Amino acid sequence: MSKPVPLSKLDEKEFIVPANSACQGCAGSIVARIVSKVIGEDMVRQEVACCGPAFGNITQPVFYGEVFEGAGAMMTGFARAFNRLGRDDIRVTGIIGDGGTTDIGFQGLSASAERNEDMLWVCYDNEAYMNTGGQRSSATTKFAATTTTPVGEFSRGKKERKKPLPILVGVHRVPYMATASVAYPEDFIGKLQYAKPVKGFRFIQVSAPCPTGWNYDPRYSVKVAKEMVLSGLWPLYEVVEGALRITYKPKELKPVKDVLRSQGRFRHITDEEVDEIQGEVDEFWGRLQEKDGGPLF
Amino acid sequence: MEIRFHGRGGQGAVTGVRILATALFYDGKFTQGIPMYGTERRGAPVVSFLRVGDERINERDLVHEPDMVVVLDPLLGRTVPITEGLKKGGLVLINHPKGGKETGLGGKFKVATVDATSIALEVIGRPITNTAILGAFAKVTGMVTLEAIEKAISEQWSGRVADMNVRAVRKAYEMVSEPVDVSGVKPVDVVKPVPGDRDVSSWRLFKPEMDKGKCIGCRRCYILCPEVAISMVDNKADINYRYCKGCGICVEECPVKAIEFVQETI
Repeated sequence: MSKPVPLSKLDEKEFIVPANSACQGCAGSIVARIVSKVIGEDMVRQEVACCGPAFGNITQPVFYGEVFEGAGAMMTGFARAFNRLGRDDIRVTGIIGDGGTTDIGFQGLSASAERNEDMLWVCYDNEAYMNTGGQRSSATTKFAATTTTPVGEFSRGKKERKKPLPILVGVHRVPYMATASVAYPEDFIGKLQYAKPVKGFRFIQVSAPCPTGWNYDPRYSVKVAKEMVLSGLWPLYEVVEGALRITYKPKELKPVKDVLRSQGRFRHITDEEVDEIQGEVDEFWGRLQEKDGGPLF
Repeated sequence: MEIRFHGRGGQGAVTGVRILATALFYDGKFTQGIPMYGTERRGAPVVSFLRVGDERINERDLVHEPDMVVVLDPLLGRTVPITEGLKKGGLVLINHPKGGKETGLGGKFKVATVDATSIALEVIGRPITNTAILGAFAKVTGMVTLEAIEKAISEQWSGRVADMNVRAVRKAYEMVSEPVDVSGVKPVDVVKPVPGDRDVSSWRLFKPEMDKGKCIGCRRCYILCPEVAISMVDNKADINYRYCKGCGICVEECPVKAIEFVQETI
């Protein structure tokens, strides 16, 4: 069970070289920085094609995989090689985008979760293939306008629901699975600290809003992430050895309408479409609360 | 005639070129709008090209020796050689709040300036300067009519967005300065970024200013700064402006509102 870590308890040591080449207000780079800071000197970072190289300005070793769908295979290789070398201190940590995790990389994710490989997989979820110009991924929320699901006469944005990836990973019975958000760094750091010494497959999916792809002012990156948590669009929970626990419970969920309308990608949606998303959010939140404290399935 | 556009990702250099190429076409010219593809991100320097002529253009190359350079960002010239390859007697149209001789550009060409950032912030509400600069382009070159630009804009957008952009075009048409000869001006050196010590200060349009008296040392801005530009000195947040891109997350997230967002002065 993870515990939030107060920011005053943080180590001053920094592994990031200041200033990267990512967009202004990039939440993905906040994720990468926090992971680097918490995992620390033992970290060996893995990457596949994503925005990651734009914020790969770290002093820890970084290995960049050429194969987009190969994150699971690559990290398995690294984890086993370090194990064979007797380097159990090294933490193989992947900072992988949502495309490389939820659709292209899903087979590798599922396979390495099934084999319980010793790795920490951090997925920063900006809900589309943002590095290549914002094409929809299976992590994109329904009705979102992306470059492959534009809004027009015959299209209302993405047709399908967001894939419930954290649950899918949870049912693999992995040692640790959690969701986190850049707006709650204390919670995120606590989860990373809990996951760091655990042996086996650990997975954290972090909400990382993208000002470029979601079309809002860069200064609201963290605010949007926070509103997503407060409205139930991005619940914070963890699954430890099959048991689910909600780590942050807003007293009452805010309506999703405002947070959706504040993003350019949802500017077109009608009240009925908002209601549809609201219904799904309420249903999911209800189920999470039922399962809270008990087994996931 | 060949023209090169310099901008930053998000300012719309590519869209601007497309609109201008369309507008020139409506005025009976043959045109090419050429985007340059790369790993452009919002705020990073980007470039695109425009070729225009009275006869069919068969050339398909990128523009290497432009007759004119259009610059959408006032500070871009500090890190990008924006006048490279510019022909003698050429023209630079730059988004800059000051006169042509105070832009830091010098050489055998003329410089016209227009404060497109202020126009865009006032009229559109966001610092997207591509359409405003087109109004200035129409005035200084006389190659394209305002009507053609407005027609091209109404094809790109509709309703309120189109109206705002048309207003920005008209305002820039009136506000642009006469081109001045800068052959006597010593140009400011272009400093290329050094690997491992990037200076991203020229990305900023707004600057976070910290009131240290108000800072309670909660570290929220420190942990949420995407650039790690904020460090803790004596338990107070301290901003290193070399590394700050001016995203404004710290301004938004400070629980005691100790950070203010002020427009950069040049």
